[in-house]
This record gives sequence, structure tokens and C-alpha cells, in this order.
Amino acid sequence: MRLELVHRRLVVLMALSGLLAFASGAGFEPISAIPAAAALLASLFWRPSETTVEWLERLTIPLALLLVARAFLIATLFGGDLVVPVVDLLLLLVCFEVLRSADMTNDVRLYALSFALVLASTAYRPGALFALSFLLFVVLGSAAIAIGLVRRKSIRFGAPDATLDRSFVVTSLGLSVVTFAMAIAVFVTFPRVSRSWPGRGDVAATSIAGFSDRISLGQHGATIAANPEVVLQVEFPGGRPERLGNLRWRGRSYDRFDGVVWTRSDPDRPANTPVRWLSARWPDTTVVQKITAAPLDVPVVFGLNPLRSVEPDSPIRPLMDDVGDWFYWGSPSRPSYTAVSTAVQPDADALRASAGSYFPDPDRYLQLPDLAARVVQLADSLTAPFDSRYDRVASIHRYLTTEFGYTRDLPATARQTSLDHFLFERREGHCEYFSSSMVVLLRAAGIHARNVNGFLGGEWNEFGDFLSVSQNEAHSWVEVWFPGHGWVEWDPTPAGSGGGTAAGGWWTFPGSRLFSGLSYRWTQWVLEYDLALQANLFGRLTEFLGGDEDGAASTEGGLPGGVWLWLVGGLGGVILVRFVVTPRPKSVRPESRAWGAFVRRVERTGLIDSDAVPPSELLRRIERERPEAFPAAERFTTLYLRLRFGGVDPDPADLGRLRSLLAEAKRAVS
Amino acid sequence: MTPRRGFGPALRSALASPVRTAGEIWRRLRSWRRIRFTRAGTFFVAGTFAIGFAAINTGNNLLYLLLGAMLGAMAVSGWLSEQTLRSLQITRRVPGGGHVGEAIPIHYRVTNGKGFLATYALELQEPGLPEVAFLAHVAPGASAGARSSQVFLNRGVYPLEQLTLATDYPFGLFRKERDVPVRGEILVWPRIDLRVRLPAGAAGRRQRRSQDSQGSERGARGEYRSLREYRPGDDPRDIHWKATARTGRAVIREFDRAAAEALWVSLDVGTPEGDPAERAADLTASLLARLLRDGSPVALHAGDRVVPPGSGPGQLERVLDALARVEFGSADTAPPVPRDRCVRVTAGSRPVGWADAILARAGAAPDGDGEGAAGGADGGAS
Repeated sequence: MRLELVHRRLVVLMALSGLLAFASGAGFEPISAIPAAAALLASLFWRPSETTVEWLERLTIPLALLLVARAFLIATLFGGDLVVPVVDLLLLLVCFEVLRSADMTNDVRLYALSFALVLASTAYRPGALFALSFLLFVVLGSAAIAIGLVRRKSIRFGAPDATLDRSFVVTSLGLSVVTFAMAIAVFVTFPRVSRSWPGRGDVAATSIAGFSDRISLGQHGATIAANPEVVLQVEFPGGRPERLGNLRWRGRSYDRFDGVVWTRSDPDRPANTPVRWLSARWPDTTVVQKITAAPLDVPVVFGLNPLRSVEPDSPIRPLMDDVGDWFYWGSPSRPSYTAVSTAVQPDADALRASAGSYFPDPDRYLQLPDLAARVVQLADSLTAPFDSRYDRVASIHRYLTTEFGYTRDLPATARQTSLDHFLFERREGHCEYFSSSMVVLLRAAGIHARNVNGFLGGEWNEFGDFLSVSQNEAHSWVEVWFPGHGWVEWDPTPAGSGGGTAAGGWWTFPGSRLFSGLSYRWTQWVLEYDLALQANLFGRLTEFLGGDEDGAASTEGGLPGGVWLWLVGGLGGVILVRFVVTPRPKSVRPESRAWGAFVRRVERTGLIDSDAVPPSELLRRIERERPEAFPAAERFTTLYLRLRFGGVDPDPADLGRLRSLLAEAKRAVS
Repeated sequence: MTPRRGFGPALRSALASPVRTAGEIWRRLRSWRRIRFTRAGTFFVAGTFAIGFAAINTGNNLLYLLLGAMLGAMAVSGWLSEQTLRSLQITRRVPGGGHVGEAIPIHYRVTNGKGFLATYALELQEPGLPEVAFLAHVAPGASAGARSSQVFLNRGVYPLEQLTLATDYPFGLFRKERDVPVRGEILVWPRIDLRVRLPAGAAGRRQRRSQDSQGSERGARGEYRSLREYRPGDDPRDIHWKATARTGRAVIREFDRAAAEALWVSLDVGTPEGDPAERAADLTASLLARLLRDGSPVALHAGDRVVPPGSGPGQLERVLDALARVEFGSADTAPPVPRDRCVRVTAGSRPVGWADAILARAGAAPDGDGEGAAGGADGGAS
């Protein structure tokens, strides 16, 4: 394959990787990104004719002006995300440039445009796909630029093209590997002094399907759509729990029910964290969870119930409210925290023997909407045979889990959405019907209860060693008050429902777990890499190398290792540059200045693409392309050579003549 | 020649003399190579600073990644360009000479002594000369040839002390240059294409020689004088085969006729340097070339340089070499033969006592004794 073709294809692939990098952050815009990708792919195999190129040029210029105007209006009048219109303009230019002829003059523009796409993608928080596209960009870019340079020089000096031998391929790959390694080294060691970039992509979403700030039974006429979006990524520093499917990631509790919708009586009010209270009542076994949550518009702290403490790993302040729910102050892009929970719930005997005189507010936890009489009768019938609070609760729980079925199909009509219809006619539904029914039946029997939502279970990602909890695992269940124990979880949804998990879909493919794992690590190690992580990393490194074991906490006592590394490296670099790099001579001979001015003028006419063209080559090109300008150019060049290389310093008269010949030559080539 | 490698020699000498070693290291640091920013490199470095600034101020980790890649590209560029210029053996081949205003080719042979890395985009430049030789690729362990054509505007000897190797490889961000000592010289002969009249007496000699050539070989070449070693340009018919076979080297016979009938041309080197003097050299060369083309034996006297009588292409090269090395403004000397057997070429005033005189003035037609002068400095070949 000819070097020219190899080079052009590498440049196009480089532009494609730039586009992929941008798409990994901002997504594929159907209007701009998809046509651009199509044009880039087409240019790999198709060379438009001169006529087509002219036609494209006529089309591109007004379109580009339009996009410039659009960007200007967005920047000045309308407001909004300026990156997108700018990228649209970049994509238009990329398309035009790749479809032009494969001459060398626009390659540098293509490099710059591709780089601009990668740069634009950093304004967002691109996922793990960015890592792949960045790697591709570095590999392809290194090879393309190196080949382009050799080609450009070969053309300039009239030398035959270099051949693509094994050494060239290995050298190019080596170039990219070293460049990439340097990128990682700089990334890891460069001292961080500011907080991590929030990005444009992760704006707080409105309540997403699955988890929401309220529980409603009013939806009908459809099936609950599966949603594989990951909302929690949980690591267990103490080891992976055995029964992951039973883990309930508690979100919020709801006390007020109007027959259709569950709400909270009061807004979040911070309360003292009852660590001592909890520790005194629950077994001293804990589960530590390092949780990274997706952004929601509800500042909820999720965790296994009951949560004893929450330590922030991102700029948030976790708080517990007066009903025992955890929330946070702050608006991080991705809240992350370390939660410590009690590992086990009290057993049946303990609950059966529970005693105490304190009960929470009955106006909140015994509140009921207007109920059909048969609902109250059902509650009585289920609880009357039992004396203990536990047995009465268990009876209702048993009734719901054994007599009812689970379905994601919503009721067909609005009338069928009522709890009454669920309990006595339809007898199947999703988790919110079960939890709502249990709370209503318990309250009807005089037992304090509330509805709770969150997530159930999750999927273990063996590639990243973390639990991935998606919207499919959204769930609701019940908490019942037991004096002396507090709120105890009961889940009336029939076993095997697996929360809300829907079968099938692309996210169940084996590769998706790998991708999910990579994405998690990408976010954790790259996007969220900050001073604390850096200090921790260098501390571990110090420890590994046999240094101070408290190195991980060195941020408190001084500068992290990366700072020292850069200080020493930077000083060494300055010394090296100072003494090794020889600066360009300060005084430029007047005849050389005149020659430079002439070459730049010729360069602007497009006859040459660089100012480093030898005089003979320049004259040859002018003679070939612009014969009418040749005599003047030759006169000037001859005098220049005589003055510059004649071995005698030119006198003012010579220089005056050179200047007049320069003016004449410049006029001739213009 | 092989470029110097690393600090090895300097470190060895460190054991002997720390002060000298320090000086050696300093010298190497300063002369090892030159790095210059290209235009693209200037933009690139400015962009790197901008991205670094943005990364620090925004805390955007992806900008740190880009910054790292850009710094990496710079580091790779520096290292690979260093490798490109290392372990190269270079030989230069220049022709015996070339004329002012004509392209003189200089050939280079570059052998890449590296075991694995190829050398790409290598430029070879003679300091002070405008044209550049270029090699796109020299495979590891292989050789490749390149050529540059230089046009010289002045006669003389151009010493070639060192060769500058340069490359922009791999990314064109920096231009790395390295000087390697490759000694040599280029001899730039004066022009031989000026129109110049034949001096008085030269026509008579030509006529006699024409008559001689119709007679015996002995008559045409004069009396046998001696044997001498063959020089390029000598007439192969004069080779003495027996002596050649005996000595193993080409030996030719010399005849007295060349010495007896040679026209001596004396160049006045006492005139100061400048265009008139150079024009006198051009006229001398053009006259001698014309005579030699006609088959006349000629001899040259120019200051302390004397080329004995001879003919043929070899003689032309000898007189041109001598003229190339002439330095004007030096002390003039008397010719080895009487003046009335010499034609004097001068940029000064009209000389007296010579067989003939040709006067040179810059930009003007050569002035003789009033007859047959034609053509200016830029006139066509005679």
C-alpha cells in the first residue's frame, strides 16, 4: 500500500477516534455526529472528484458561517452549552477536510481538528469509552504524524518515499506506548490542587424510573419498563457478603398515604446520629460499604439498614433526619461515601420478646386513608388469632407472600389501581402494592408501620469487585416498629421477584459486566482522582518501598510525593533545557530576513507548505507553477545567495538592491 | 566517521582529571546537539502550557491526561530525534572541482549503525551552503545515499570541516541538529565559458601543430624526453607499456614538443581582491580551456603557483586547480620563462614587455591589444 494512502487512512481514523472520544462524553448527536462519522468512514474508501470537492466547498462555507453565527448567538444572547455548537462546527470542518484530495496541505488541520474534538470531550465526563478512544487517538496520531512528517519532507526534497518496514511500525507503536505511558505518569503524579471537574454530562436527573421520591400506585395501562442504568456501585472492603440478593439498599421512608400516593410528612430535618443508641441495641457486627451513587435530584444516602455512620468520600455532608433516614447536603457530581451498617436483623425470638413503652408518633405511623370496610376486616382476620406483635406482623406478611403473585404489568385501568382492587380482585402486582398493602393492613391492626423504598440486591461485577445496583433493582418494602428494637424490615413481596429485575436486554450480555466494571474503575480512578487519592497512592507506594507506614496520611503533614517528583523533575528539566538547548541566533542577517519574507509570501500563495524550502527548490516550483514570476524571483534569489553565501559581508548598497528586488519578486508572485 | 556517543569517554577521563572532565562534560552539553522549536512546535508548547493551566485551574482530570500525552509527545520527540542522529557513519564524496555558477553535486553515503531503530527524515547540510541533502529512511544496519547540488558564486577552495545532521522526526515539533566532523573540501574553479580572443602567437602555433600532425608521430609530438607517472587526462597513446608492466603503475612518455611549444599564460596576482581580479581569473581559465580544446600545450604562472607545460583534459584540470587556489593581493613573481614568451592576464594597468596582454575589468569585455576582443562577463561560450 502506498505511504500516501496509509497516511491518509491513519489521519481519518485519528479523526474518528476524536469523534468517538467526544461521543463518549456528549453522546452521539444524530444531526452532526452521525453524518460526520459517515463522512469519515466514507473517506477511507472514497476519493471525491475535483468537481465534488468544489461543490462541497461551496456547501461548507455557508454552513460553517451559519454554525459560527449560531455559536455566537448562544454565547451572547440565548445562553446554553457552547461546546455543542462549536463541536458541530469542528465536525463540519473535519468532514470537509477528509473529503478533500489527499494532498499534504490539510493534514495539519486534520490533526488539529481531531485534537480539538478530544479536547472538547474533556468538558464532559466521558465514560470508559473515552479511555479506548484516547488510546486509539494516541496510537493513530503518533503513527500518522510521524508518517506525515516523513512524507512531507520527502516531497519537499524530491526524495522517494520511505518504506513502511517492520521497524517503522514498531517505532510508531513504541512512540504511542511511551506517549501513553507518559500521559498516565503525568496524570498520576501531577500535583492536584483543585477539586475534580464536575463535568457537563452528569447533571442531576429528574427522578428516574425505579427509584423516586414518592411511592405511587396510580400508574396503569403498561408494563414497568426495564432500566439497566446503574445507580449504586458498592465495594465491600471487609469482603463480599454471601447473600447479595437479599441486601436491601434503603433509601427513604414514607408515612403518609392518601390511598394512591405515599409521601413524607415533614421535610428533612437533621437529627443527632444515634450511633450509641444503635450500637447498644443491635449486635456488634458491621458491614462497611463504599458507595458511589449516580446523581439524583433527591439527596438520599443509600445503605444497608440500619446505618450507623456515614463518612463522606466526596464533597457532601451526610446527615440523619429525625425519622432515621439519611440524606446529604451538597451537590456533588457523584456522591460517594463509606457507610457502616449493622450486619444482621434481630431474630424472631428477640422480636417476639420485644418490650417497651415507647412508640413513634401514631398520627404519622398509624395514619390511614379512607379504606373499604373489607380491608379493615381482612386485617382483623389476619391478626386476631395472635397475641404477640411479631406474630401478627408475620401473619400479614405470610398472607401477602403466599397468596399473591408478582407482576410488572400495571393495572389496565385507573379504577384497578386501587389497593382494594389489588387485595381482593387482582391479587397480583409489583412491590409497591405489596408494601403498601402490608403497611395499610398493619396500621389497620394498630401496628406502627411505614413504607420504605430503595433497591434490592444487585449484580456482582467480578471484573471490578463491586456490586452494581441498577434501576431494575428498585424496590419498596416495609418497616415495622418493635419496642426496644426500633424499625425492623419486612418485605412482603413474594420471594423470587428479585426486586424489579426484568429479564433480557443488552445489559445481560457478558461483555456488559466487563464494560460496567471498566466504567466504574474509570470513574473512580480517573474522573474522581484528586489530591486525597493521590496522597493515598503515594502513601501506599512509600509503604511498599519500605518507607513511612503513615505515608498515606501525608497530605496532612506536607506535600504529597507527586509534588516533590515534579519539583525535582521540573528543576532538572529547566537545567537541561538551559544548557542543552541552543537558542536560535539572536541576530538574523538582513539578507536572511529578506529571504524569509519572500518565502513567507510564496507560502501564502500555496506554492509551498513550509518556509524551510531550499532556494533551488523554490525557484523550480515557481518556474513550474508561476513562470511569469520566475525572472523576478530568480534575480532576487541570485542576489540573496551571493550576499548570504558569498563569504563577504554585504554593504548597504547591496542590501538596498536586495530590498528593491525583494519588493519586485513579492509583487510578481502575489 | 562515527559521531561521538554519550559520556563514556568523559567519564573515563574523569578518573584522570576531574577538572578536565568537568570541562569536557560542559563542552559536550553545549555542543552535543542543538534543539530549535519549529513553528508547529511553538504552537504545541504554547498549547501544552494552556492545557496545563486549564487543568490546574479546573481540576479536570482528563485535561491532566491530555497534558500528560502532550508532555509525553515532547519527551518522545526529543529522545527519538536523538536516536535518529546517533550511530550514523557518513562519508562524503565531492567531485574534483566544479565551475562557478554550475551545480556541483555532493554525494553522501549514510550507514545506520543502530541495531534496531531506523533513521528517518535525515537532513544533511554543509554549514554555509544553501542546499540540503535528504534521506527519508535508512534502515537499521543498512546504507543509503543522498545528494545535494550546490551552486557557488565565487572561485576558491571551500573547506568542509563538519557536516550538520538535522531532523524534525518524529512529530515535527523540534528540529534537532548535530554537527559531525567530516573533513573535505570543494574546489570551485573559475568560469571557462567567457569569450576571449586568442593571444598573439597562439594562432601560429596552432598552424604549425596542424602541419606536424600530418607527419610522423615523432614529428607531431616532439623529441622524447622522459618517463613519468600517468595523470588523469594524459593521452593514452603516450603510455609506455613496457615501463607500465615493469612498475605495475601506468607510466607515460613525455615529449619535448609540449615544453617547447607551450603557451605560457601569466596571471597577475598582485591586483587586489575584487570583481576585476576574479574576472581576470575567469579570463585566464577561459583562455587556457580554449587553447587546450584546440590541442595547444599550455602552461600557467600565477604568483608562486606554476603549472608546467602540458595538454589534454588533465592539464586543464591542473590549471583550473591552480587558479582556484590563487589568492589575489599576494606578491607577484617572475614567470619561469622569459616574459616575451608569456601572455599576461591582469586586472591592473596594461603591462609592458609581455608577448601579449589581456586586460580584465568587471562587467566589461576583455581588453586585449585592440583586436578580436568580444563578449562580456556573461557572454556565451566561445
